[in-house]
Formats: sequence, structure tokens, C-alpha cells
Amino acid sequence: MLNKIFNSFKTFYSPKFPVLITYMLQSSEYHVLDYLIWFWKTDDFSKVQKRKELQKTQVAKLILLTLRIGIIFQIIFGLSLIYLNIVNKLVGGWGFGLGVIILYPVLWSQIITIPVFLARVLYINPKQKLMIKNSKNIFHKSQALKIAVCGSYGKTSMKELLLKVFASEKKVAATVGNMNVATSHASFAKSLNGDEEVLILEFGEGRPGDVYSFSNTFGPDIAVITGISPAHLDKYKTMDNVSKDILSVTKFVKPKNVYVNNESNYLRSFLKNQKFNKYSKDGIGDFKAVNIKNDLSGLRFDLTNKSETIKIRTKLLGRHQIGPLSSAAILALSQGISIKAIEKALNGIEPYEHRMSQYELNGAVIIDDSYNGNIEGIEAGCKLLKELKANRKIYISPGLVDQGKETKNVHLKMGQLIAEAKPDQVVLMENSVLKYIKQGLDQSNFKGDIQIEKDPLFYYNNLKHFVAKGDIVMMQNDWTDNYS
Amino acid sequence: METIAVIFGGRSAEHDVSIITALASIIRPLELTKKYRVEPIYITKDGAWYSDPKLKDINTFSSGQIDGLLNHLKPISLSFENGLKIVKSTSIAGRKAYLKIDLVFPAMHGTYGEDGSLMGLLDMANVPYVGCGLSASAIAMNKLLAKEVAAQNSLAVSDYLSFSKKEIESNLSSIIETITKKLKFPLFIKPVHLGSSIGISRATNKSELLNGLEVAAHYDDTVLVEKEIPNLIEVTLPIIGNDQPRPSLLERPLTKPEDFFDFDTKYLRGGKKSKGAKGSQGYSEIPAKLDQDLAKKCIDLGLSIYKAFNLSGIARVDMLIDAKLKKVYFNEVNPLPGGLYAHNFNLLGMSNVELVEELIKLARERFKARNSLLTSFNTNYLKQF
Repeated sequence: MLNKIFNSFKTFYSPKFPVLITYMLQSSEYHVLDYLIWFWKTDDFSKVQKRKELQKTQVAKLILLTLRIGIIFQIIFGLSLIYLNIVNKLVGGWGFGLGVIILYPVLWSQIITIPVFLARVLYINPKQKLMIKNSKNIFHKSQALKIAVCGSYGKTSMKELLLKVFASEKKVAATVGNMNVATSHASFAKSLNGDEEVLILEFGEGRPGDVYSFSNTFGPDIAVITGISPAHLDKYKTMDNVSKDILSVTKFVKPKNVYVNNESNYLRSFLKNQKFNKYSKDGIGDFKAVNIKNDLSGLRFDLTNKSETIKIRTKLLGRHQIGPLSSAAILALSQGISIKAIEKALNGIEPYEHRMSQYELNGAVIIDDSYNGNIEGIEAGCKLLKELKANRKIYISPGLVDQGKETKNVHLKMGQLIAEAKPDQVVLMENSVLKYIKQGLDQSNFKGDIQIEKDPLFYYNNLKHFVAKGDIVMMQNDWTDNYS
Repeated sequence: METIAVIFGGRSAEHDVSIITALASIIRPLELTKKYRVEPIYITKDGAWYSDPKLKDINTFSSGQIDGLLNHLKPISLSFENGLKIVKSTSIAGRKAYLKIDLVFPAMHGTYGEDGSLMGLLDMANVPYVGCGLSASAIAMNKLLAKEVAAQNSLAVSDYLSFSKKEIESNLSSIIETITKKLKFPLFIKPVHLGSSIGISRATNKSELLNGLEVAAHYDDTVLVEKEIPNLIEVTLPIIGNDQPRPSLLERPLTKPEDFFDFDTKYLRGGKKSKGAKGSQGYSEIPAKLDQDLAKKCIDLGLSIYKAFNLSGIARVDMLIDAKLKKVYFNEVNPLPGGLYAHNFNLLGMSNVELVEELIKLARERFKARNSLLTSFNTNYLKQF
């Protein structure tokens, strides 16, 4: 503890202190409350900025300049008080002066939130509202087929799959990467030419009402719901609220044009008596997934009904991909894309970086699923690990973030899922959820080796020393600095 | 927590290679086990011994901070009282700090380290250490002695001759005559003691031979001249173990005979750019693509050499194959392969952490066996005086 206080003390009074504060604000996306929570829960500031560097955007530069000038003035003011005490015998000059100097890190870490807050309320929010209004006009005037992709996980992958299959025969535009909030939708709308035949938008839920609001702006013809799991519970509070928000997209689309993941445990309970298109590892509708082969070379299967067969050959890993692939294929088929084009688009498709992508390290196979941040993804990873053959299986994860009240249950379940995968070694990180994962492992009588690491980044950087040929390492989720 | 001293650097032409072996392949994996306190002992090029936590950091060496650090540090000394202790000067009233060493992990290549000198010192201190013992190291690091031991054990070696530095300096023309009469070009000229291919040259005519002899004699007091094996395939076999040695994967460096491994190819240029695994010595084919019988011959020869030389812990046996005749020749032994040849053991399924742990286990086993031997017995010899 003393060591942490000493390290924080050193960081507070180092010339890099303004950079640290700006970094924390930037990582909190300039949400003052999130920043303040992070600031006051941190007990060792020397370890806050480990993974990333400050992006020197104009906003960041302005904040940095404000902090630097403010701190310099405060120090000068403090020194002036001390000087006046020495020269002019100013009463209390020493004490006040020293206090002013000592308190500058605490004062400026809080004062800086005022201009950030005002800028959001007075400038950013009105500007964003206007942008969103304009984007609504663009979307509603567009003649293109509009597909919304939403869910707690798997959105970016599903969007990319749809983009691939539709782009084989149509002019398509889709949001880039995981740019899935209102402002990125607005920028996307502004970039459109007007001659697009298909628009694909990813809806990233962050707080109650997001998906409803995005749906209202976009006006989708088709909706794909990739699954629901505990995420952003710090804002949504309950799973019921998450589900209601995500399912609100169905109010804008006819049931026959809604595609839902029937393997999602949370989602399934809302699907009874609904005439949606339900996809799963068994296929979709009357199209069944058969001749399934799943190993490190990828997932291959045939999607077949009485009259047609689509042969899907991908480099994606895991049976949980059958559902999304089937859904993308059948959705495209329903919109007139030929089977040949669908096969060509999907065949050879490779995993996206950090989403069950694999690479070799000292002869070992590392399955990097570090962008996975939900329990259903953990389940998919554990099932894949169980299915693969290896001399030694290693499972690594720090656990999940943003699970709110579900934190304990989700991590008990995670421990159970890991135990079911039967890895030889489990590597966990020393953090707030460790005890629950361990408890879950114990409850499932896990007999393998459990290794606890204090510094995840150090462990990841030294992973090459722990692995060799014949090993398969499943690496799921990674905590960013504001959660560490 | 036990203390393991990793000794590296040293008065050797392979000083820098030793630093990499110690820092990348030994110290880091040892620390990752979380079982040992690791004490780095760095021997400078002029033979002074130092120990400091900063010596575990490659940046200390790569950034050139090492000179500044050494100016600030005081050299350590050794105490053999009840095992091995390192003695550090402290700033408190000239007092000394003693640190008991439970096991030594030598990471020295070449002279005064890999050649048995350090092992003799550690034997005297009666401390367990990783790797080959004194006599095995001394034989292995003398290319001439190694060939003679192999030949005595009926293991195939290429035709060779040897000359002292004095002979070369005083009678060079007659030596060249003798060589050209008894051996056919192309030839390899090697200093008998140095590793990492330092001072080795290849000669295809008399003038290259003359030059090669002069270069080799510059590095060593004995020079070995050997016939090049035609239709050459070079292979190397890392082996781990004591009495029951276990071969790792047969490895084939992807170099042409005319580009035989020299120091630059091995360590500076990262090997020839070809297909294959990039090991500590550049690009290699692992396992070597040889027919099954030939691969078995190589592995058998490697293991026979390991036993004949009484090697222990870890070693790498280099062999030469005449691809046409399918005959395998012993070339040389490396009793402390650079980087522990971890890249090869990794492909066998042994991680870097497991490799250092296994070597520590083997060191303890050998130490126990050695200490169970009688080293003295009572006689009446002194009574007669």
C-alpha cells in the first residue's frame, strides 16, 4: 500500500501528470462522470497508463495546454505567497503557498472537468443533435435496402459477413470497424453517394434508449440481432433493460425481416411466439447445417434444404460461427444474391483480428479472442478449446468488465465454462473478478493448474516463454487501462 | 527462495553472444518461474566480475549504458566457504555483503567459460551447475581433441591434420606442402578452441589456405585443417539429459556450403533468408527433411557422441552428411548451444520455462550423483615420512 502511495505521489508531481489526466479523460471519451469514477477509485496512478499512448488530437492538445498553463500559474502563485511571507511578512504566506503548490494535482484533476463538461453541454451535444437530424433525412430519403445489425456481441463480425455477401453482386456501404454510435452513423450518412443499393449499419448500445434512437434515425428494412449478454450494465442496470433496448429495433421492422440468434441464452427467452428468422448452429429455417468440420484450419459445412445447397468453407474458428454464416447466406439469398456469389464471398473468409484469430508463437497456436467481452463469447471459446486436440491446452483471461450486478453470476458461470473445456492450465489475472472465476472453477471440480498473474501486460509480453509446439492457447478478453 | 547465479559475458570472442543467451534465454524464463531469485553475474571482456539487477536488462547493454554502470559499480569477489557465495562491497563502513548461491547457470560461450575453466571453479566451490562438466567441456571445446575422442570411439570424422601456432609461424611453406599432399581441396581451417565459427575459413587453393592458417593462428595456438565433405548437408542435433540423453529435433541450417556458417551469418545477419524456421542462428529446417534411415543415423551418431564425451545437461552435436554416399560424419560439439537452442526445443514441445527448469533438475541430479562418490580414502602414505 505504501508503495502504491509513493508511486502515485511520484506520478502526481512528475512533469507527465498533465498527460496522464488528459489520457484518462480521453480514455473515458470525455465523459466527466466516468473519468471522475476512474480517478477516485485509482490507488496507484503510476500504473494507469500502461497499454496505450495519449492520442494527440486537437481536443487533447487543448486540454493538455490548459492543464500545463493552469499548473504553472498555480505553482507561481504558491511561490509568490511564500516570497511575500519571507519579504513582506505576509501572514500565513508559507503555509498557504506550500498548500497551493502541494494541492495542484488534486485541484487540476478536478478543475479540468468543468471546461470539458461545459464544452459537451454547450457545443458538442447541440452539434451532434444537428448531425443526427441531418443523417435521419439522408437515411429516410435513401432507396437502398437498410440493414441494422445490433446485439451485445458479434455485431462487427456479422456486419462484415453481410458486407461480403451483398458486395458480391450489389453496391453496398457499411459502417467501418466498430464505429457504431450516433455520431459515427451521422458521419457515415454524410459520406454516402446516394446510389447505394444496400446500407448496413452497426448499432452499438451503450445506454438505455440507444438502439431505439438509432432505429428511429436509420429506419431499417431488415434487422439482425446477434445475441444478448450482460454488457454495459453500469448504464443499463438490468438485463431486462438491455434486452428491451436491443429488441426495440423489431418495432421498426416486419417480423419476417428480423433475423435473431437462437443460441443466445438471454435472447431466446424473448423469442417465444415470435415469427422471426431464428439462426443457430443447426442452420436457419428449412436450411440445415450438415457435414460440419471444425478444426484449426477453419469451419466448413453445407447449408442445405430440399432443393438447394450452399457450400460454406471458411477459416473462421468455432461452431458458434455456423449461425451467423447461415444467417448472412440466407438473408442474402432472400434478397436475390446467387448461391455461387454467396459461396464465393464466404469461402476462405478469415477471422477478424482479435476475434478468434490465430497465430503461431514458438510453435504453439494462440487463439486471440481478446476483443471478446461477453459470457456467450466465453462459452464459444471454451467449447472450441474443448473440441480442439493439443498436447497441452492453456486458457487465459482477466474476466469480463461492465457486468454490473451480474458480475458474480457471470464469473461463476465463466469458471464453470472454463472447467468444462478441461484446459491443462488456466491463467487468471489478479483483479476484482478473480475470486468468482476461481469459485466457479472450484465448484466444477477443476483439477488443472491455476496460475494467477499480477501484471497482465507483462504476462502477455512474456507468453512466448511459456508455450511450445503442440500447445493451444485460448486468450479471451483484455481489460483496457480504465478497468485494470 | 533459492538463488541462481547466471554467469555470462567473459574473456571470449563470443562475449556478446553470451549476453544474449543469458538475458533472453535463461534469466527471463528463470524469473518467470517465480521460484528463484536470479542473480546476474557479468564478466567483462577484461575479466572483472560484476553483479547488479540492471545487468538483467538488455537495454543496459544495447544502449551503451553498461560502461557508465560499471564505472559506478564495484566488482564482486567469490567466497568458497560452505559452498559458493558472492561478495559485494557495500557503502556502509567498508562492510561486505555475502549472498549464497544455490545453483549456477553458466551462460558463457568460448574460452574461460564453455571450455571447462568455469566448470573447474564451480567444482572446487562444490556448487551444482547447469550443463556439461569440466572434462566434457574441455574435450568438446577443443576441436582436435574432440575429433580424436570420436575417432577412438569408432565414430566417423572427416580427414584432418593439426598444427601448432609455432609450427605455422616458423614453417608455413612446408606445412602447406604437407597439407596439399595429404588432403584435397576444398579445406576448412579452424582454430581448435573457438566456437561460433570465429576464425574459421574455407580454402579452395594454396593462397586461401595460407591466409586461412594465418587467420586461425591469430586466434589460437593450435590449428585444425580438415577436408571438406562433398555433397554436403550440415545438420545439428540438440540433446538434453545426463545418463539418458534425449535428442531434440534434427535441424538443418539453410546455408550453402560456400556460405558456411560464419559469425555474421549466425548472429548478425539473422541467417540466410530462405524458407524455414528462424532460430537463434538464422533460418533452419526443423526437423531436417532427410530420409528416415539417414535421419536415424544422424540421431544415433549424435547420441553416441554425447555418451562418448560424457556430456551432461545440454549440448549440441554438429554433423556433416555426404548426401551421395549417405555417410554421416561427426563435426563438433557445442557444450552450451547459443540461446540454449530453445527454438528447437520449443518445436519439440518444451517451452523456454520448461527448458530451464529441466536443466536445473538435471544439474541437481548430476551434482547429487557426483557428491555420492568417494573423493578420499585413508592411507599410511604420510607415515613413512
